[in-house]
Amino acid sequence: MTAYTDHKKKKSLLQWVKSRKGQQSIIIIAFMFIPLLLLFTFTYFPFGEMIKFSFYKMSYSNTPKYIGLDNYKEVFNNKEIFASLKLCLYYMAGSIVQLVIALYLATMLSFKTKGGNIFKGFMFFPYLINGIAIGFIFKFFFTRGFVFDSVLQWCGFNLENLPYWLRTQGLNNVSLVGTSIWRYFGQNMILFIGAIMSVDSEMYEAAELDGANKFKQFIHIILPSISTIVTLNVILSITGSLSAFEPPYVITSGANGTATYFVLMNRIAHTNQKVGLASAMAVVLLMIIFVATILQKLFFKYAFRNTNAEDQVVSKKKTRLGVKKNKSKEAI
Amino acid sequence: MRLKKFVAIGTAVVLSLSFVGCSKNNNKNDKVNNTVSNQPSTEGTDDTATDTADTTKDDVLSYANIVLGESYTDISTTIKFYNNRTDMNLDDYNGKKWEEYVADFNKVYPNIKVEIDADTTYAESALLRLQSGDYGDILMIPEVSKSDLSKYFVSYGDLPTMEGQVRFASDMAYDGQVYGVAYMGTARGIVYNKAVFEQAGITTLPKTPEEFIAALQAIKDKTDATPLYTNYAAGWTMSAWDDYISGTATGDATYKNQKLLHMSNPFENKADGTGPYAVYKVLYDAVANGLTEDDFSTTDWEGSKGMLNNGQIGCMVLGSWAYPQMVAAGDHGDDIGYMSFPITVNGKQYASSGPDYRLGINVNSSEDNQKASMVFVKWLTEQSGFAYNENGIPVAANDNNFPELYSAFDGIELVSDDPAVAGEEDFLNLINADSDLMVSAGGNTKVQQIIEHAANKDMTFDEIMADWNAKWTSAQEGNDIEINQ
Repeated sequence: MTAYTDHKKKKSLLQWVKSRKGQQSIIIIAFMFIPLLLLFTFTYFPFGEMIKFSFYKMSYSNTPKYIGLDNYKEVFNNKEIFASLKLCLYYMAGSIVQLVIALYLATMLSFKTKGGNIFKGFMFFPYLINGIAIGFIFKFFFTRGFVFDSVLQWCGFNLENLPYWLRTQGLNNVSLVGTSIWRYFGQNMILFIGAIMSVDSEMYEAAELDGANKFKQFIHIILPSISTIVTLNVILSITGSLSAFEPPYVITSGANGTATYFVLMNRIAHTNQKVGLASAMAVVLLMIIFVATILQKLFFKYAFRNTNAEDQVVSKKKTRLGVKKNKSKEAI
Repeated sequence: MRLKKFVAIGTAVVLSLSFVGCSKNNNKNDKVNNTVSNQPSTEGTDDTATDTADTTKDDVLSYANIVLGESYTDISTTIKFYNNRTDMNLDDYNGKKWEEYVADFNKVYPNIKVEIDADTTYAESALLRLQSGDYGDILMIPEVSKSDLSKYFVSYGDLPTMEGQVRFASDMAYDGQVYGVAYMGTARGIVYNKAVFEQAGITTLPKTPEEFIAALQAIKDKTDATPLYTNYAAGWTMSAWDDYISGTATGDATYKNQKLLHMSNPFENKADGTGPYAVYKVLYDAVANGLTEDDFSTTDWEGSKGMLNNGQIGCMVLGSWAYPQMVAAGDHGDDIGYMSFPITVNGKQYASSGPDYRLGINVNSSEDNQKASMVFVKWLTEQSGFAYNENGIPVAANDNNFPELYSAFDGIELVSDDPAVAGEEDFLNLINADSDLMVSAGGNTKVQQIIEHAANKDMTFDEIMADWNAKWTSAQEGNDIEINQ
């Protein structure tokens, strides 16, 4: 090692630049410069500024005043903000429903189904529509006596017995979550189908020979094989539900107890002009998302621990058998 | 080894370089701010100079000194006018369009080109663009602190001079300088359908909250129309209720910007049935008695115009600016009327009137553009007929040509809010932000909550007002504002 460095030291910088290694380094750094600069200016710098703002009492035009942790205290003491965090539960429950629907349909469609591709297309389609447009569609969909009520009336419901989908507090959040499920389950489904396709079809045949029905095949073959994608989808949907914005913002503009964390943050930052408080809310949300993600990681590690362990045992057995076979071959 | 070190050093250099970049920018901004904040003070001294010596007239840019058709005719430039009237750019706009105004303006000043930049989400975008510095030459002044006006806008002149020139001059004044000229004035009342009121047997317009609720009840009983349409879902239509609590409900021009700030419990029930309590109670009672639309959560602002026009709605609480839109929304424009808000103070009715958006001129524009902009603003207020065409109260001080819609305002005194006392300009903003009530500053949520509580019957009106009083008081205390009223 020492000999190596001594030898290197003798070379001047210029020589090093001209050398192959030097050229490599320069090219690497030159290529890294622009992406790093962009990443820094548009992600890390604004983020750092936002953390700074969260310690100030400031609006867009006033001179900021340092107030320490007061904004954070406000986040945890303000009833409205706390209520908006509770709304996330609606969206989380919704995301579970959405994943179950998506997984169910994905499994159905990955076996041979008549018109499977058409169904896939129809169910994926909502994801392609702009979120704002979806908001407007559902605004009219849920209006009293409009689309949804008419459809239910055809089914024999009486308008007087139907609830007000957006007026009744509590129910209006369920309605909003419904629009979110409608929009995203198709996308989840496509991801699941992709993962299920990668399962070796011989496994199904083998399982069928052993007398396993479709449900058992799903539990013991499909689910363990796509556990990574399931985990990913759950994490995405849960973090997504923490930051639900478009449906409540467009359909109800966050009124009537539908203001989610993001909608409230938007209102606090732009209408009430408490930029400091809104920044603190954003930092708190980031922390919550960190914690939620770590918890989910741990949970899935625990939930899929058995299957992984089984896999490992099986593979170990296989290798052992293989070795034995080889050995026996050698013996022969 | 080397490579790693080099990469590490490289990234460090990159990061520090970008830091330098940022700090440089900061310095620049500071410099701009400094020069800007210096400007009004020098201008102020110049203005006082002009009073004594008229010879310096042409050198100092001042609204009062501009003679349309004579001043600054040699300027040849292009100015940008950033505003919220997207509708006036559309081909199917049934009033006079922007391009027609600009064409008229160019008959007088052919060398000043005017580009119109209209934005549908003006209130929010304008604030952001103000920060970025890219806000045209003339713009409608968004919600900025009075103390910051001089940072962004040119002074039109000192307050006493401007008061002789335009109405509502004091509205955008700070330190004796006027930074905004209204593009038209509006009054606060209720837009209603005359045919529906007639059908319900209402012959005299209601003058008190009780009479008004009785009238709504009559509409509900005798017609198929929705008596009062709240426009809950649109949001901003809710904060419009804030505009009635000052002049209309008290007849006091100093109420909103001076008294309210120092008042203990402004939202409490006044014995004489005036003040904010009386205004919001009209809304609460109307909802609680089922005199509003069935499903408030899905109201449709665009649709409501046509519904009022064809008699499906009895009335809506909106400023006079809404009147022309209601008239234009269908075939029954003649049925639309405008009345004052039903509150009587000591036997007399008042109506708040105030400026619509105020036009400001970019302080960072070139000198020629500032001159051209001020010429355009003066032309718009004095010669364009804009306010009259748009059914607004005329802005030029000597213009008394009120549009037809104010015919029902005979005997009703128009009250325009006085500005805050010097040194207290930011008090309302501070209290608003800390109390989350945002009175007259986009406080949609609190008024929407009145409707929610009235419909769900989970909070009485007195409880809501007590809650607001508590918030108001704690915000006053938090900002060390004296409570003395």
